[in-house]
Amino acid sequence: MSLVELQQEFMDQVLTDGRTLPCGWDARMAAGLDIYRNAYRSTMVEALRETFPKTALWAGDHAFSQAAAHHVITHPPCGWTLDLVGEGFTETLAGLFANDPDVADLAWLEWAMHLAFTARDCVALDAAGFAAATSSYGEADWAALRLAFLPSLFSREIGSDCIALWRALADEEPPASARSLEEPAACLVWREGLIPVFRLTETLEARGLGVMITGGSFGDLCVALQAAVPGDDVAKTAGTMLGKWLADGHILKVV
Amino acid sequence: MTGIARFHGFGLGLRRPHYDDFICGGAPVDFVEVISENYMVEGGKPLSVLDAVRAHYPVAMHGVSLSVGSAHGTDRDYLARLKVLAARIEPLWISDHLCWTRTSAHNSHDLLPLPYTAEALDVVCANLSAAQDFLGREMLLENPSSYLAFPENEMAEWEFMAEVCRRTGCFLLLDVNNIHVSAQNHGFRALDYLGGLPLERVRQIHLAGHAPGEIVIDTHDREVCDDVWRLYAAAMKLVGPVATMIERDDAIPPLADLLIELATARDLAASAERHVA
Repeated sequence: MSLVELQQEFMDQVLTDGRTLPCGWDARMAAGLDIYRNAYRSTMVEALRETFPKTALWAGDHAFSQAAAHHVITHPPCGWTLDLVGEGFTETLAGLFANDPDVADLAWLEWAMHLAFTARDCVALDAAGFAAATSSYGEADWAALRLAFLPSLFSREIGSDCIALWRALADEEPPASARSLEEPAACLVWREGLIPVFRLTETLEARGLGVMITGGSFGDLCVALQAAVPGDDVAKTAGTMLGKWLADGHILKVV
Repeated sequence: MTGIARFHGFGLGLRRPHYDDFICGGAPVDFVEVISENYMVEGGKPLSVLDAVRAHYPVAMHGVSLSVGSAHGTDRDYLARLKVLAARIEPLWISDHLCWTRTSAHNSHDLLPLPYTAEALDVVCANLSAAQDFLGREMLLENPSSYLAFPENEMAEWEFMAEVCRRTGCFLLLDVNNIHVSAQNHGFRALDYLGGLPLERVRQIHLAGHAPGEIVIDTHDREVCDDVWRLYAAAMKLVGPVATMIERDDAIPPLADLLIELATARDLAASAERHVA
């Protein structure tokens, strides 16, 4: 067996239960392989538990462990960093807890905070900088305005108040059930200094933010708002959003 | 490349429960070892903590994901990030393990064992040389603990390590606990292992605890045992003054407990020095 073949076989043995041993690998080899297989599984599940501690608390230890084991089997890690072990776990939980969407909402919040925690350090554009960058703008320039946002900014539309749930779990006073939102809403996560923070907002703002994060212009933002906002208020609503993003330190630069 | 100077000191790993002690420079150690991958990030608190610690202590970078034994070669993205971190903190040295962690498709995030064959030796030497060339410095290679031995083996682990040193010019991180664990699991004499290595290339020693059993497991979750202390004393007589570090990755106790263990290492190293003199 070549080294490539041996390593492929060994990895398959680690990732999979009940695989037949190659010729010449005896019971002693099997016992050793069990140790590597168990170490791999427990490392992955513990990494998920450390990344999603409040989701684990909310889902319950047994249910979380089963979900984590399922995720490790269906999404074996590819990259060199254990930091990304939680990639796709929100979607896994959404499938496994289809009747409890609060579990996936909470997991998304923890994952976004995890990513924000080590996102690139950047200095946000402040109001004075923005004013300087746009001081000569005419109407056409405003319509074409495009922005770059900080890499620590994330948003998602949610069906449950995962922020209230996160805070309750942080206080170790978990509620009996998650609070559904009366109106559809969204959650924004970003980092202030070294600390990930979050806020609840309307889906309209999240969708507007999505337009501009993905490269849309201020004009595109206004078009996106037209369906939900009376015509005269579109520019004012978009301007208010822009002011909020500046104040919260979401904007990196005018591009 | 310029080689790696000896550094005689006693250190601990930087672990989250002890951040405050190291950030303020209050922990009485000579150097700090960090898990490289924990700080190979874009920004945020981990790098902020590391910068603060580096202001007070020399730092050794210890990796777990180089995968020097991978038949699929080195990972350029990984090496690029490792190099960026090294430029930032100017470490004493960069170390990783004689093992492999990934195939072309998957990563085990565990230190998997190599067959000690001529083919594997060629692969390790090619990968390590490529890594050292990319980083512009020699590395330290750590002997692993292992729980199985391949029927394909053509040489002893220490012979394999010695040949890697000879071909690549790398230095050694001697994990005394790993020698003890593997000696128990594979039935060789720990002193034979030591005797087969080019000990003049050792720059650091690791000490740790393990879980006894039919197969001994390198757990890093308890105190260093008496057998490992005895082997450390023997090793220090042969190696001479180098850096020694206590590795604790699980069930992490208060810093004071680790400092007591480190004091034992200091005493044993001093006795070894007197013995040699």
